[in-house]
Amino acid sequence: MAEVNLVEAVNLGLAYELEHDPSVVLLGEDIGINGGVFRATAGLQARFGAERVRDTPLAETAIAGIAVGMAAMGLKPVAEIQFTGFIYPALDHIINHASRLRHRTRGRLSCPMVLRSPYGAGIHAPEHHSESPEALFAHVPGLRVVVPSSPARAYGLLLAAIRDPDPVIFLEPTRMYRLFRQELADSGEALPLDVCFTLRQGSDITLVSWGAMLHETLAAADALGQQGITAEVIDVATLKPLDIGTILESVAKTGRCVIVHEAARSGGFGAEIAANLAEHGLLSLLAPVQRVTGYDVVVPLAKLEYQFLPSVERILHAVRNTLEFT
Amino acid sequence: MSTVASFDIRYTRFLDPQGATTQPLPQFARDPMVLVALYRAMVLTRLFDTKAIVLQRTGKLGTFASSLGQEAVGVGVASAMRGEDVLLPSYRDHGAQLLRGVSMVESLLYWSGDERGSDFAVPRHDFPNCVPIANQACHAAGAAYAMKMRHEPRVAVCILGDGASSKGDFYEALNIAGVWTLPLAVVINNNQWAISVPRSMQTGAQTLAQKAIAAGIEGLQVDGNDVVAVRQITQEALDKARGGGGATLIEALTYRLGDHTTADDATRYRDAEVVAKQWALEPILRLRNYLVLQGAWDKNCEDDLNRECVELVNQAVEAYLATAMPLPQAMFDHLYATLPAALSEQRTAALYFDAAARDSHG
Amino acid sequence: MKVFKLPDLGEGLQEAEIVKWHVAVGDEVQADQPLVSVETAKAIVDIPAPYSGRIAKLFGTRGDIVHLGAPLVGYDGAGDEDSGTVVGEVRVGHQVMVDEAAGLAHGAAGIKATPAVRALARRLALDLAMVTPSGPDGLITAADVQRVAKILAEAGPQEILRGVRRAMAHNMTLARSEIAPATIMDDADIHAWGPDSDITIRLVRAMVAGCRAEPALNAWYDGHAIGRRVLKKIDIGIAVDTPDGLFVPVLRDVSQRDAADLRRGLDAMRADVKARKIPPEELRGNTITLSNFGMIAGKYAAPVVMPPTVAILGAGRIFDQVLAIGGVPAVHRVMPLSLTFDHRAVTGGEAGRFLAAVIADLEAAT
Repeated sequence: MAEVNLVEAVNLGLAYELEHDPSVVLLGEDIGINGGVFRATAGLQARFGAERVRDTPLAETAIAGIAVGMAAMGLKPVAEIQFTGFIYPALDHIINHASRLRHRTRGRLSCPMVLRSPYGAGIHAPEHHSESPEALFAHVPGLRVVVPSSPARAYGLLLAAIRDPDPVIFLEPTRMYRLFRQELADSGEALPLDVCFTLRQGSDITLVSWGAMLHETLAAADALGQQGITAEVIDVATLKPLDIGTILESVAKTGRCVIVHEAARSGGFGAEIAANLAEHGLLSLLAPVQRVTGYDVVVPLAKLEYQFLPSVERILHAVRNTLEFT
Repeated sequence: MSTVASFDIRYTRFLDPQGATTQPLPQFARDPMVLVALYRAMVLTRLFDTKAIVLQRTGKLGTFASSLGQEAVGVGVASAMRGEDVLLPSYRDHGAQLLRGVSMVESLLYWSGDERGSDFAVPRHDFPNCVPIANQACHAAGAAYAMKMRHEPRVAVCILGDGASSKGDFYEALNIAGVWTLPLAVVINNNQWAISVPRSMQTGAQTLAQKAIAAGIEGLQVDGNDVVAVRQITQEALDKARGGGGATLIEALTYRLGDHTTADDATRYRDAEVVAKQWALEPILRLRNYLVLQGAWDKNCEDDLNRECVELVNQAVEAYLATAMPLPQAMFDHLYATLPAALSEQRTAALYFDAAARDSHG
Repeated sequence: MKVFKLPDLGEGLQEAEIVKWHVAVGDEVQADQPLVSVETAKAIVDIPAPYSGRIAKLFGTRGDIVHLGAPLVGYDGAGDEDSGTVVGEVRVGHQVMVDEAAGLAHGAAGIKATPAVRALARRLALDLAMVTPSGPDGLITAADVQRVAKILAEAGPQEILRGVRRAMAHNMTLARSEIAPATIMDDADIHAWGPDSDITIRLVRAMVAGCRAEPALNAWYDGHAIGRRVLKKIDIGIAVDTPDGLFVPVLRDVSQRDAADLRRGLDAMRADVKARKIPPEELRGNTITLSNFGMIAGKYAAPVVMPPTVAILGAGRIFDQVLAIGGVPAVHRVMPLSLTFDHRAVTGGEAGRFLAAVIADLEAAT
């Protein structure tokens, strides 16, 4: 057991799979000697060789397209897109091919690839390095979209993603890469996909979030706890396919729900959860479902970044409104 | 000032339009039976193609992309491939697909809008048709990488059009193939037209083959209406790749004698008389001319072959028309390896409404 | 130019040689008229014109090979065969659509409660209309529902009305929603009556007099058709109070019967009602109603007119009143009267004259 942060946990997960599954191949820009710009792949090329940990030319479309080709041939490629700001050229292959190869060949060919990318805002990076495009992927049939929020979940979910026979978009919250550490046994044990994780039990309100926003959400839950309000905190983890059952069970108990995500509000994935709550949990609700999100604006540059991101204060404000509704 | 790099693009042809040889034929072409087999494959492709158009016009097939005039490209390329090689086609490559073992029924099912058409019974590793232009080049590079990593003596062969050679995927795939020395052959079916955009408006490059130079790989041009040349050059490229020599870009020059698809009317943008002149250069006529000159073919052979192929095509059409409609669960059943619980409600709804629709229509 | 291409020649034939044109540029051709003779590998075939029109161009001359799908003949006119797509089929419709003017949206009205609170009310069998909201903007909260539920629970279980009481509830609701009631009150000086006067029968007789004076009050009114039937026969509904509730049996054709007969009829009715033996048809069809509530208590009232009738006379408790008789006070026996009429069908003047006639008849000694 060791204490690792999130990016180290990713490194451990990749190493475990490279060691135990010869069909796993990593590809991406600067992942070789450099170990990836965030060091997610540090040391892996030295250990496993350049054929299995492959530096690619600067070509995001091809990175995704080559991964499709590899996967169809039975390899398990784990492709890194350096930042989600650069993921858009890869959408062509993800949406047009990865998501539908199994379907359109009736299972003859399939695409067991993982596309992983650091995502989200909060590191005062230059333009285009703070994107949260999870809703784009979550809208595509045939994909899985996974967002870890802790080192343990990053490790366990990454293993599951690599082992899954279908394509997975694995979005790693950049702000959380080194934010805190956690005990982790490098046991190769995967966590389940397609389920939410209840991080805190509570009975007054349900807080739903994913990725880096769990940091603020848990802080908000702590603040509420000091006021005698118990918040149930749910980490969605796998956005698609969505485990609405866990969220519904929680809301049946609490009757109130606030969803927190840093991606822009309109068409954000919080809307999908809210719609599901309206459809399946309406009679449990004592107040409207609130969403605390990034504004519908271009993610601002560093100076206004933290005005954009949902803060603990904004979350508490929404919680108060919800609790005081009736 | 000194020159630091220069390049040559080689052009290959063995048979001229009249069927006369322009240089000594390669070994395989000296056997008339081999050539007859190639001829047969091209004739079958064209007859299938013609029939598909008729089916579309009579409402029995969806939009179809004809390969009229380009039969030598697909047949030449596929005939050089081994069974264990992998073909990554565009959507106009039934010539190559049929020779690789894709059935006419499968092809018709695909064009009729039935995913079962891509579940090839024979070439289990070939990719299905690729509609977004040039994407298959990247897939081919990835497939080639898998072959190389596993030290397999296999080659990934992708076919794309002249329009595709303008696309980013094409350049990115070639570039990676060059720097990684991939066992890859990229064949450009340069039929001179990307829908209504002629080759001259597609790029400022003198040849498409020379785009290989920018990627650090070999680029070759070939007379795409000469099936012998296409086969030979492809063979050389595959041998090279199999031997670890890396990738080759082959530009096959031909002409799109038909419309872009059955929904397109090419007379809108090109002169019918120009097209008519191109018929003199077409591949089936050319090989026939050669075979007749060799005394290896005559009208009886032609009639027999015609009859045989028409019969095969008709049988396939019959089997295709008799294929039952796919069931609505087909939308769900291969979406993932195991359908997630989150989707079971929708699957049930689709089945329910299908039953309702069947009921209401009696 | 509309281009006609060489059609499928069948049998796998791919091409044909032009042998002879049968039309020239500028010709007007009819559909099916032979355009050109072509020779295939099998035979010479005539290709007919696919439609009528003027020939604009011939593609090829004698001896040229034309391939399947290649242009053969061009017609004058716009190429309406343009599919307008390169894939699939984009259907062309010729219907012209017109945008309708959008109506104004109306604000939401009514009871405001969240679905959970509504479900709670349903579970507690509570009508949300009974609940006073305490939430913002008139929102009914769960606490409001719980409060009212508690109040009702303390009040004991609700008795569901049945039988006669239920009928009364229905009928009065109906009357309330339809009638336009107005009431006139006055007194009849019955000082002249003898000691054994039959009060009810005197009232019946007086009502006959009233109907004679103003037949409009003996009528049925139809609020939907806005029509009335003034009735010749006078069937008086007599309100009877019983422990079970209010009954209104009908005394038929009272203007044709003498006092003794009326008394016999009335007694029979009362006995039947008491014994709960009265048949339903005897409780229907009255043309006017009498409510002698004075037998119990009360002077004046505004009794309820039951549709389709248009009038009800209420007689209150007879009492002694000091009146001015010939300028000097005298104590006389007085019967208070209240006449409620449906103002949709009866005017104030008609009602007044009816009442005057009733009073005149009542004030007679016999």
